[in-house]
Amino acid sequence: MAIFSSDERQMLHDSINAFLRENYAFERWKKLARGPEMEGFGRTEWAKYAELGWLGVALPEWAGGAGGGMTELGIVLAAAGRHMVLEPLLGTIVLGARAIEEAGTQAQRATLLPRIATGGLVLAFCHAEPGGGYARDYVHAIARQEGGEFIVDGEKSFALGAHAADTLIVSARLGSQAGPLGLFLVPRDAGGVRLNVAPALDGRLGATVSFAGTKLARHARLGDDDEDRLATIDRLIDRGAIAACAEACGAMAAVTEATVEYLKTRQQFGQALAKFQVLQHRLVDMSVSGEEARAIVHAALQALDDNAPHAQRAVWAAKVQTARAARFVGGQAIQLHGGMGMTDELAIGHYYKRLTLCETLLGDGEFYLKKLGVAAVACAVA
Amino acid sequence: MFIHAMQHNSELDAFRTEVRAFCTREIPPQVARKQARGQHLEKDEYDAWLKRLGARGWLTGKWPKEHGGLGWPPEQFLAFQEELGRSGAPPLVSFGPTMAGPVIYTFGTPEQKKRYLGDIISNNTWWCQGYSEPGAGSDLAGLKTRAVREGDQYVVNGQKIWTSMAHWADMMFALVRTDPNAKKQEGISFLLIDMKSPGITVRPIIGITLGHHLNEVFFENVRVPVENRIGEANKGWTYAKFLLANERVGNVDVAKLEAYLHQIRSLLEATREGGKALAEDPAFQRRLAEHEVGLATVKALMADQLAAARANGAPSLMGAAALKLRGTELVQAILQTGIDALGRHGMVYQSAALHAGWNGELIGPEESADVIYEHLYRRAATIYGGSSEVQKNISAKGALGL
Ligand SMILES: Cc1cc2nc3c(=O)[nH]c(=O)nc-3n(C[C@H](O)[C@H](O)[C@H](O)COP(=O)(O)OP(=O)(O)OC[C@H]3O[C@@H](n4cnc5c(N)ncnc54)[C@H](O)[C@@H]3O)c2cc1C
Repeated sequence: MAIFSSDERQMLHDSINAFLRENYAFERWKKLARGPEMEGFGRTEWAKYAELGWLGVALPEWAGGAGGGMTELGIVLAAAGRHMVLEPLLGTIVLGARAIEEAGTQAQRATLLPRIATGGLVLAFCHAEPGGGYARDYVHAIARQEGGEFIVDGEKSFALGAHAADTLIVSARLGSQAGPLGLFLVPRDAGGVRLNVAPALDGRLGATVSFAGTKLARHARLGDDDEDRLATIDRLIDRGAIAACAEACGAMAAVTEATVEYLKTRQQFGQALAKFQVLQHRLVDMSVSGEEARAIVHAALQALDDNAPHAQRAVWAAKVQTARAARFVGGQAIQLHGGMGMTDELAIGHYYKRLTLCETLLGDGEFYLKKLGVAAVACAVA
Repeated sequence: MFIHAMQHNSELDAFRTEVRAFCTREIPPQVARKQARGQHLEKDEYDAWLKRLGARGWLTGKWPKEHGGLGWPPEQFLAFQEELGRSGAPPLVSFGPTMAGPVIYTFGTPEQKKRYLGDIISNNTWWCQGYSEPGAGSDLAGLKTRAVREGDQYVVNGQKIWTSMAHWADMMFALVRTDPNAKKQEGISFLLIDMKSPGITVRPIIGITLGHHLNEVFFENVRVPVENRIGEANKGWTYAKFLLANERVGNVDVAKLEAYLHQIRSLLEATREGGKALAEDPAFQRRLAEHEVGLATVKALMADQLAAARANGAPSLMGAAALKLRGTELVQAILQTGIDALGRHGMVYQSAALHAGWNGELIGPEESADVIYEHLYRRAATIYGGSSEVQKNISAKGALGL
């Protein structure tokens, strides 16, 4: 695992934030989110991210990447959260890229990973299914082998970015409902693929996807054997979950700063609202929540990069803590803005929605709390 | 402690049955369909339903009989709200019956009573509240909209903001500054303004719900007859505070709480984790139980305050604070549970589905868009009608003498 030095990380952080501050102001966000193209994000922006090396930040150097790890991805995602970036980073450079790296054959990795780095491949991760909730092993989609092909049938829940992905990464059981889990590369425009495109709460687009007799070539399966991929999926979702936490950390920092600034300028009762002690305390509580989340997310990113034995539980704990923080910080940002926080015109409400989505992406706080509880009991029994 | 007699009798049960039967019979099918799907009503649909309630006097059942009300005791008003909530009726609108009406019958002239009360009772007029301004939110008394007397008219100039439903309203009750030189609370008058008056512009504010509920209202040389002033000139603050006290109690809509809880229960039935309904999950069951405790508490506070208001002329400061603070927190908590379920469907927000005629394909349970809309909208429950922070300031000062 290549390691960035602290200086390199600082540079990465500074350069991304500087770029986005310049080029991704809220007005730009609105244009992209609600533009007539109905993609809900910017293709030009995407190409730019590739050029700046963000898309490949955690890809191997041979694939045109910078060889970074989860921490570097965390830095990118935090900046994306801070500026409410709409482009499909989570699906492509976290979930999609990791799926290919972990499960792909040599040939699949060699052809696909470099395309991610250059911005030529947008991916979406389609694993959850209606009725499954956040459960990670709930898959009823089936891939039957017929001759040299796979035939896929099934239904997937809403996935961010699926509407625009070149390739969907789809989980399905091999052969029958009792079969092992496989991961498949499905071109979005393959026959029998049906999308229902919709906006998520925060305005980003995605789609539910169903497959009816979708024919795939043999090499569309990630890997070349019938190995059960549940463990891979498990690791992928952990990585996705911590990336969503990193995003939330960025968004919390931004919305807290905005609220501090607002209270310094907003006058009521003949003085700035920031002069009221209850509000000062509230701002401190928001900041403290942000600090807690940032620290625990950092620790989890590090644990993943170190391949530490407790890494998974560190991720789950981080998701619980971040979900709480996101809820509090987002809610208070609206509260302290009063009516202004309730408008579509200001960014505050959009941060609230983004944070609410981050809180629930790939499992909410309650879900991970329960998983931690089960794991704790298992430890005690063992 | 425990002073006011609480009534429970068979009459009340009979009344409940009557309300239920009425709702089953009288909610127009189109309205019932939209309600079930969580779709928004057009003004005329809403109006038709409210007029049916109005024809029975039920919109204003808790008004005293001498002013055209039915003199309902608090228990009956609560029962009415509960039954409405449970039968899927659209929520009541409080601007006329809870806010404007009591101010008019308490402080208005005989002519004003004659002119306005009947139309509130029957829902012939829709009202809106012109209190807040860009520079006067929590500090309401800092309002700047000017009304200058010219003969038997006031000429009004200025701006209101966050005016809910101004785009549907026929009338606005507004606070205006009539004496710029007096202490800020002492230069305010309370006017009833016809929204069709020349010089009024209503501009929509799109909310975080992506819906249109809020407005800015601009006044440019709007002429308002002096006979539309409530009570004395420059005494408006007194009437404004009287109204706010009613608003705080009236804002906690038990019917709505019942309806939300019902909706969230069905959402938890419809949402599964690993194939199993969330409603069977002990963690969610516990949360539903918490909401029930909350609702029972809020109802009890409400009954208490309505009884106190009847006995003493006004709710107690701390009691009203408890009701407003806890009632609004409860709304938010219930809707949070709804949102937590919807995360399992990807937190999709198909706001277009809130409007009839949308023919897209819904993702998740039928009530999804409505629950998200309400969740977002009720973030404001702790802001409007006096924010929680301001409510605590008032209580500390007024009730605890701090
Ligand atoms: C959905 C919605 C509907 C509304 N409908 C109407 C309507 O129909 N008619 C109408 O007139 N108004 C309406 N309002 C306006 C509402 O009454 C105001 O938003 C409210 O009074 C707060 O004012 P503000 O928005 O200016 O916030 P501000 O007064 O700027 O307050 C911002 C924050 O500072 C806090 N704060 C302010 N002062 C203090 C203090 N002294 N100590 C501690 N904390 C303080 C507040 O609690 C709040 O959290 C509506 C508002 C909303 C959001």
